[in-house]
Amino acid sequence: MRSKYIVLLRTLLKSSSLWHVRKYSKDKKKRAKSVGGFIGLAMLYLMVFAYSFFGCWGFAAMEMTDVIPMMCALTISMIAFIFTFIKTNGYLLNFKEYDMLMALPFTPKDVAACKFGYMYLKTLPWYLCVSLPMMVAYGIFAGAGFLVYPVWLILAFFVPVIPMLAASFLGFVIAKASSGFKKKNIVQTLLTVIIVLVALFSRYIIEAIIRHNQVENVVEQARNAMTQAGRIYLPAGWFANAVIAAGKLQLRWISNSLLLVGGTVLLFEVVFLFVGKNYRQINSALKSHAAKSNYKVSGMKKRSVLNAIAFKEWRRLTASTTYFVNGAMGEILAAILGVAVLIVGLDRVIAIVTQNAPIPQGILNPAIPLILYFCIGMMATTACSPSLEGKNYWIVQSLPITKKTLYQGKMLFQMYLAVPFMVFGIICMGISAHVGILELVLYLVLGVVLCAFSTTWGCVCGIKYMRLDWDNEVEVIKQGTAVMIYLFPNMFVTMGLVVLVVWLGTVVNPTIVVLALIAIAVILSALCYNRVMRFAKK
Amino acid sequence: METKAVLDIQGYTKSYGGDKKAADNVCLSVEAGDIYGFIGHNGAGKSTTIRAVVGVLDFTEGEIYIDGHSVKDDSMACKQITAYIPDNPDLYENLTGIQYLNFIADVFNIDEATRQQRIAKYGDMFEITEALGDLISSYSHGMKQKVAIISALIHEPKLMVLDEPFVGLDPKASFTLKQIMHEMCENGAAVFFSTHVLDVAEKLCNKIAIIKQGKIIATGTMEELTKGASLEEVFLEVEDEK
Repeated sequence: MRSKYIVLLRTLLKSSSLWHVRKYSKDKKKRAKSVGGFIGLAMLYLMVFAYSFFGCWGFAAMEMTDVIPMMCALTISMIAFIFTFIKTNGYLLNFKEYDMLMALPFTPKDVAACKFGYMYLKTLPWYLCVSLPMMVAYGIFAGAGFLVYPVWLILAFFVPVIPMLAASFLGFVIAKASSGFKKKNIVQTLLTVIIVLVALFSRYIIEAIIRHNQVENVVEQARNAMTQAGRIYLPAGWFANAVIAAGKLQLRWISNSLLLVGGTVLLFEVVFLFVGKNYRQINSALKSHAAKSNYKVSGMKKRSVLNAIAFKEWRRLTASTTYFVNGAMGEILAAILGVAVLIVGLDRVIAIVTQNAPIPQGILNPAIPLILYFCIGMMATTACSPSLEGKNYWIVQSLPITKKTLYQGKMLFQMYLAVPFMVFGIICMGISAHVGILELVLYLVLGVVLCAFSTTWGCVCGIKYMRLDWDNEVEVIKQGTAVMIYLFPNMFVTMGLVVLVVWLGTVVNPTIVVLALIAIAVILSALCYNRVMRFAKK
Repeated sequence: METKAVLDIQGYTKSYGGDKKAADNVCLSVEAGDIYGFIGHNGAGKSTTIRAVVGVLDFTEGEIYIDGHSVKDDSMACKQITAYIPDNPDLYENLTGIQYLNFIADVFNIDEATRQQRIAKYGDMFEITEALGDLISSYSHGMKQKVAIISALIHEPKLMVLDEPFVGLDPKASFTLKQIMHEMCENGAAVFFSTHVLDVAEKLCNKIAIIKQGKIIATGTMEELTKGASLEEVFLEVEDEK
């Protein structure tokens, strides 16, 4: 049975390996794309590696070297939990080749465990890119003994497993709960969104619980928060204790390592015992749909071609939990931010996010549209919707519509999705910040133009890196080259712009800064739109 | 309860939570040597039944036995002797054809010499041997279907279950598949397949079941059902009647 497990795991890895495509494909374009994929991935790994290392350097400069192991465990755990949870539906459940695998002599537990193992191995390089530089940084800055390296290295493979198991279990529970409903997709999406939001805001929730309003300096607060988090989330504590003890050559590292490894193995068995028993039932429910069979043709509504395409995109977004959680999460966050600001005030929200950093009132006002754009622009459906056509691409190809119309329809949908949330958020924040009418109008214009930029830039990435031969939509929604290329520069540039705008606002008239930003965003949007139109002519 | 039939479906019922049942008290028995055709309209419940037979779909009411083993309680024993070819086989696109067949052979623990001999035999029969070194993503629908069929035959199943097997196959491959079905049945195996092509069913099958809105409305040997008329006429007649 064990060898069958390895055969399946090996096959799953081969089936999604870029190296495999490069080796066996006769299509030159495909082979070149796989090499491009390698290079892109290597660059991203390098970026994460560097970010982690320099982050630790910063910690060392603040004399917080001792919290690096805990920081590492908590960071990896958080990333592993959220990413696994979002991917459960599609990777572990409701995947394309479910029928083929389940008809083979594998137990449901084997299939589920193999799929989990596959997901773990696929994401392991990311976790190692966070963990290894932190190990090196800790070794250098803490002057730890040699033992810290092997202990860290081995335990780094176990740290992401428990949060991944917890996320998978939660995903299964949600799927099982929602499978009892007729509108299971809606229930599943709703529960998933709630869990992701809780996970995203968990830092603030935990801090609110453990802070007790004490006034301390930021460094001491961070150190305390880290220690407290380790007490709440035990595996992170086990990892940190094992590594720190190994660095000091204390035997305590053995007991803490055993707790982490043993706990991981035990949890794995418990989770997959439950999953194995319910696997077929959950998948059967998720893969089937109740039929009313009582439809009568009436009240048909005519739409323009562009709106028809936009409506098709809306249905695609809401039909998939994975797509919705990724594609609309930014809009949901923007709405929550807007409401939160209205209720507790902009200054209070800024104080929570910046951990009471001394920020003068009003200084952040010019950055309001950018703050909202950081949420909304996090993902544009246009970055993955061309690839999501997948094997259905023939439908739009065979219809009497030009590529130009198709891309315009996709962009129109993204604007329909993003603009209302952007406008809502800006109005809420504007009211709370008591900005003047002229400023508010300028912020609204900037917000809408930023939405246009995210839409067109997403479309450029989506078309340029269109991939139709995916097996699982997660491959293009979460891991696609188009999404990566859209996401990372967009996020970093936005973060940089927030700082730049705030700083410029103190030097020159903030209105001029906003006007300049509008002009830049208009030019960039026009350039991207033009590029999309050129793609459409090809 | 054990039976001698290779496939024995007793009172199988499946509901998806809607008002209608996708399969309602389905009973049928496929014996060794049978080529059993399963026909019905789109959405009649054919695939729902087939997916339950091969252990993919969960069900609560009724029982399904394969060679005396319960699909519910002893699914591994059932899967070891069953082969399933879905209507639209989802194979691993980034594997080569031969890698996929090797994967299936590994899962069924087939020794190297046997797998080589069988892959060569069926590869040649379906005229796909030369393409087996290419990625499945480069295959046409028919080629994928051929690989799925070879993977189903590689472990010499006692029961072969096929969902619309002739869709996408070229005439020669269809002929080869029919030939293989006959050979399998002569060797004591059984074939259970769904189809919309009534001419094929009439010529190929010795037994037929007609399903409508989840219920079996007619079943029996070809002679019992047709009584000299064509299967198409019988099908349309019973569809209208019930």
